[in-house]
Parts: sequence; structure tokens; C-alpha cells
Amino acid sequence: MTDLPSPAKPVPSLAARLRAAAGGLGLHGLMAVLSLAMVGPFVWMLLTSFKSYAEAADPAWMPETFLWGNYPEVLRVIPFARFTLNSLMIAGWVTLLQVFTSALAAFSFARLEWPGRDRVFFLYLGTMMLPGLVMLIPTFQIMVRFGLVDTYLGLILPAAFSAFGTFLLRQFMLGIPKALDEAAEIDGASKWRIFWDVVLPLCRPGLVTLAIFTFMGNYHSFFWPLVMMKTVDKFPLPVGLMFFDSERGQATHLLMAGVTMSVVPLIVLFVFMQRQLIRGIQIGAVKG
Amino acid sequence: MRSSRSQTRRVLTGLGFLLPNILGFLAFTLVPLVLSFGMAFTDMDFFRHNPFRDEPIRFVGLENFAWLFGHPEFWHYLRNTFFLMLGLPFAIAGSLGAALLLTRVGKRPGLIPGALVLATLILTGSLLALRAAGMSEAGVWFIFGLTAATALVAGVFTGGTIYRTLFYLPHFTSGVATFVLWKKLYNPQTGPINFALAPVLDGFGGLIRAAPGWFSVGVPVLAGLVGTLLAGWQLRRLRQHWDDATAGQVAVGFGVTMVILPAGFLLHWLGVPLGLAAGFVVGAVVLLTALIVRRPRRWGPVCSLDTGLSAEIALALGLVPLLILSAAGVIFGPTLPAAAAAGIEPPNWLGDYDWAKPAIMVMALWAAIGSNNMILYLAGLSNIPPELYEAADMDGASPTQRFWHVTWPQLAPVTFFIFVMGIIHGLQGGFEMARVMTLGGPAGSTTTLAYFIYIEGFETGRLGYASAAAWVLFLLVFILSLLNFRFGNRGTND
Repeated sequence: MTDLPSPAKPVPSLAARLRAAAGGLGLHGLMAVLSLAMVGPFVWMLLTSFKSYAEAADPAWMPETFLWGNYPEVLRVIPFARFTLNSLMIAGWVTLLQVFTSALAAFSFARLEWPGRDRVFFLYLGTMMLPGLVMLIPTFQIMVRFGLVDTYLGLILPAAFSAFGTFLLRQFMLGIPKALDEAAEIDGASKWRIFWDVVLPLCRPGLVTLAIFTFMGNYHSFFWPLVMMKTVDKFPLPVGLMFFDSERGQATHLLMAGVTMSVVPLIVLFVFMQRQLIRGIQIGAVKG
Repeated sequence: MRSSRSQTRRVLTGLGFLLPNILGFLAFTLVPLVLSFGMAFTDMDFFRHNPFRDEPIRFVGLENFAWLFGHPEFWHYLRNTFFLMLGLPFAIAGSLGAALLLTRVGKRPGLIPGALVLATLILTGSLLALRAAGMSEAGVWFIFGLTAATALVAGVFTGGTIYRTLFYLPHFTSGVATFVLWKKLYNPQTGPINFALAPVLDGFGGLIRAAPGWFSVGVPVLAGLVGTLLAGWQLRRLRQHWDDATAGQVAVGFGVTMVILPAGFLLHWLGVPLGLAAGFVVGAVVLLTALIVRRPRRWGPVCSLDTGLSAEIALALGLVPLLILSAAGVIFGPTLPAAAAAGIEPPNWLGDYDWAKPAIMVMALWAAIGSNNMILYLAGLSNIPPELYEAADMDGASPTQRFWHVTWPQLAPVTFFIFVMGIIHGLQGGFEMARVMTLGGPAGSTTTLAYFIYIEGFETGRLGYASAAAWVLFLLVFILSLLNFRFGNRGTND
């Protein structure tokens, strides 16, 4: 097992330099192979999505001919566009609401002084440890009572509040100089003005990070929609994709085309947002 | 002095900003929590108690819990949950390994010409393979070569960022989509895994058949040796920690138990009654602990940089599967030639009672290596003060020593965080995987507590039982978290 590179040493001879280069290249080679192992399943997914129904039962990787028609076929067989729209809409609303409520709470915990604040905060943090499964069944019962089963509202509301989001944004807000608030206060700004015009714009990176996390989590969400939604037209993507893999029939090639289409937006999002995300993860794990 | 009026105003403003969250907390956390606690003591059933059919709900006291604990299925599912959590140390090791590699791959411009040459070679090789084997199947090798070569060149140019991106991809996309994908990969007839594995296993079987007679002795001896070495190594580490007061002693007790426990299971599995095997475990743990503690400390000084206990536990847990493997080598080694004579078939993965869980653990590992944990370790590694490494170098520390005496103890807070989170998630995990990949089968071998609660709550509709099971889960999470916070971060001072 090896570590960080040791402090810089003088590199004298050509042989030593060649050896170092070879070592570096070997390391890169290892990383390339490992990357391949990570990407391999996606390659198989992509190749299988171009196969025909009969070929999908054949373990060979390559399709005989690339059937681009599989993709429009997916759109035709299941209401794929509708599912995508549902997913985007649900995840979008949850993200908007959650970022807003979390920012409000984080502002109260990070920038306002009131007796009992820290006790309330730790209580709040404690709810992060609660296993969500305990709340699942009664929450469903509540949804039944209020007639929210099979509605978008029933999916969006329970996800609109988040202890994690509050925690993350609090960490961000703690990093903003207090003097700014005080200056605004002297100018006669209300707490709301300080929140909206001073603090929120400054913790934009935090908001973006939380938005990505929330969006992703809800785009993937499977359990709750599976339980709540009855009308096919209201299914989000993860539930809808299961049509291609049910007891009634398997269509691996179309399934893989559908999975590809559902995963590609995520990959694009990730590649563009990764710096933000990584910073957010690191800030979120710092003990509060 | 502030007047009480302005005090009240402050509280009201503070709570005002919290209001949406408080409402949400009441509606979707507190009320459900109380309801679920109440439901656990009733015979509530979705098909008898719903808005359309309102039979009176009966209070049944502890009956649900009695049913759960008296029900072998429940213990089976609990065991499954814990079994799948054995993947956690591997995930931690994988993330740490990936982070270490990523830290080492720095931007070194001198490599660029070499990388280009290497990439060209890989590409030419794949193209030649493509020509030689015809378009169809070798096309895959071309695609692999292209991917690897691109990653390599991009990696050298970007100083390794591309690897981080690629490692993180499985975690980022993980969800129903990747579960479905892996279900297809594992398919024994049409999936690529067994397609690739079959010829390899066939060759392996041929090798064994051709091997001389000492083979059936050599394998068990080798496996036994590796197992003993691993166990001894762990015991040695533990001895070094004994003097760190409570934390060290708990670590020793725990570590010894982890080393002995597989032997106990093995005895039971070989037909020794459970009581006797348990007695053996307890006796051996006490004896071994006494032996370790009595020995004078002659394995060098205790490292002054203390390691968190959870880091030690993660290590000890990681040893369990390895020890089980080596025990399996000892037992099954002699039967290998006979098995090879019959021909070695690749397993039926998700369709096989014994292989389904390892299959799922492999998939989970694939998604877990490049996860948030890797990112946390990367941050942790960059926060280690370079002076510590310089001091270690001056003392002439080998790379291994540098790792165990500087890197690992310095990362203890990160490991602690990952470990706690991993346990909380692990206990609740397995629902989506079971629902999408196996439906909890075969014969319940992949049904975790989470999936069991789903089945009871939403398919058979027995809400009382489901709530009781959820509360057992809650208690487990609570107790394990408490233990973790009590002991796990000893020595991690921030």
C-alpha cells in the first residue's frame, strides 16, 4: 500500500527519469483499466440497446446491425416522454420546495440569534438518523386519509422538507461573514431582506449543490412512487421502465434503450456539475 | 439588558423562518412516528381497516413482536441484512484505495508523449484484433481499447480528473436503471458475465484435472496458512491497541471475537450442536484475550497517533469474509479435483440461493467504490499535514508503515463518518435491489428487513406486523449508532 508522493527530490539521471515516467504511465494504465471496469456495464447497455429482440437473448456483445429504430420504438411502446416529463416535474418541484424550505431553516439556524436555537438544531439533526422506513406506512395512511394517493402532490409534499438540506446550507451560511448582515441591519433592512438580498445570493454554490443532490435523488426515486401511483400516465421513469421487465414480458433491448435514455441526461448533468457537487459533499460531511 | 419583549420577538422571528420545516416535520415525521409506534401494538390490516371498510382496530399488546421474534423467517431476513452489510468494509477499502490512487496520479506533463504512444499502441492492437477476428465480436475489443486509450490520454492531460469522473459514474447513475442493467449482466444464459466466465472456469477445471495429486493437499494447506497469517496479523494489531484504555480493550475484545467467530460457525456447520459451538467461541475468546493481554508488549511501541475504533472494527469485519474464504479452502480443497472432474459451471448468480447475496454485494461494490466516500477520502487525504510524512520519512518508514502509522490514523474521522452512515444505510437497504432484481428470492435469500417491511405493509397489508418490524429496525439503528458514537470515535478528536 502506498501513499502521497514524498516531498520533491532532485531527479538526476535520464535512467531515473525514464523509470519515473514508466512508473507514472503504469499508474495511468492501471487507472485506465479500472475506469474500463467502471464503464464496462454501460458499454454493454449501449450495445444491447441496438440489438434486435432475438439478438438480446444472445450473450455476444455486438449487435449484428445497429438498430437505431429501437429508440423511437421505446417512445412508441410505452409513454416514455410522459414518464420523463413526470419525473422531471416531480423532481423539479421537490427541488424548488426543498431548497427554499431548507434555506429558510438554515438562515434561522446560522444567522439569527434566539434562545434555544442550538438545542432545536440538534433535535433537527437527530431526525436525520431516523430510518425512513418507520415513517413509511403511517405516511401512506395519511395520504389515503387526505385523498392524496395517485396525485403528484402526494409525491412532492413529503419530500419538500429535508434535515440534510438544512444542515448543508447551514454549513455554507456559517462561512459568510456576519459583518454583512450587521451592515444591512444598520441600513434598516428587515430579516427577510437580509435573507433574500444578502445571504441567499452569497450561498448560491450551496443552493446549486443541494439542488443537484435533491434533483438526482428524486429523479431516481422508486419506492414512494411505486406505492403511491396507480395511473400509468402519472408514473415517473423508474417505475415506468419496469414495463419492459415484468412477469408479462421481457424486452431487454428496449429496456436498455430506455435505461440509456434515462441515464444519459444524468451523465451530462454530472460532467458539467461535478466540481460543485464534490465541494458540496465535502462540506456536508464536516461535523456540525 | 434585553427586555423580555425583544427576547420573544427574537424567538418568534427565528421560529418564523423555521415554520415551513416545522409544519413538514410535524406532518411527515412526528405524526407518522407516533402513529407507527401505535400501530405496532395493534392488529391493523389494510384490507380490514381502510376508509371503505372500518372494522374496529384491536390493541394486541406485544403480540406482533412475539410473532416476529418467534418467526424463523424474520431471523432469516435479519441475517440477510447483516450478511449484505459485510460488504461495507470492502466498499470502504475500495473507496480508500481509489482515493489513494487518484491522489498519486498527479499532473505530470513529462508523461504526455509516453501516454500518446501507449494509447496509439492500444488502439492499433484493438484495430488489428478487429481485422483478425472479423467485425462482429472483436468490435467489442476495439470499443474497450478505445475507451481505455481515451481514458488514459485524458487522464494524463487532465491530471487524473477523468478517472475520478469515471469512477463516480456508477454511483451517480445508481438506481433502478443500474439494478436492471446488472440483472441482465448476471443472467446465466444471456448475460455477458457467465459468457466470459465459462471458458475461464473450463480452463481452470482442466488445469486442476491435469494437476498432480499433491494439489488436493496443497490448496487446503495454503488456505490454512493464509488464514492463520491474517488472524495473527490482526491479533498483533490489536495487542498494540490494548493500552489505549477502554477503546483499545473494546477493540481487542471485538477483534478477537471476529477472529474466533468464523471458527464457531464452521464447527456448527460441520455438525457440532449450536450450544457447544457457542461455548467454544466464548471459551476461545476469553482464553485468547487473556493470552494476548498477558504477553509482554514486544511488538514495538504503540503508535502515538490513535486510530478510531470504528476504523479498527471496519478492519476486523473485513477479515471475517477472508477467514471464511480460507476456511472454505481448507474444507473444500480436497474435494476440488472431484468437482473439476464433473466440470466447473459458472454459477446461476441471482437464481441461486447461495450465490445471490455475493452477486448483489459485487454489484454494490461496483457502485460504492467511486461514491461520496471516495470524495470524502480524497478530501481527507489532502488534509493530512505533509510534515507527518516528512517525519515518517526521516524515521525511515517504509510505504506500508507510512500508511498504517500516518495515513490510516489521520483518516480515522472520515472512516468513522463513513462507517456510521454505512451502517445506518445498510440496515435500511436492499429494497430497490430486491424489488427490481430478485423479488427477495430465491427462497428469501435476498429479502432484507426493508423489503420484508414493504411486503408486509403494502402487499399482504399487515400494517401491525410491518410497523413492529420497522420499530425493531429503528431500535437496531439506534443502538448501533449509540455504540458507534460512544466508542467509535475515540481518538478521533475532531
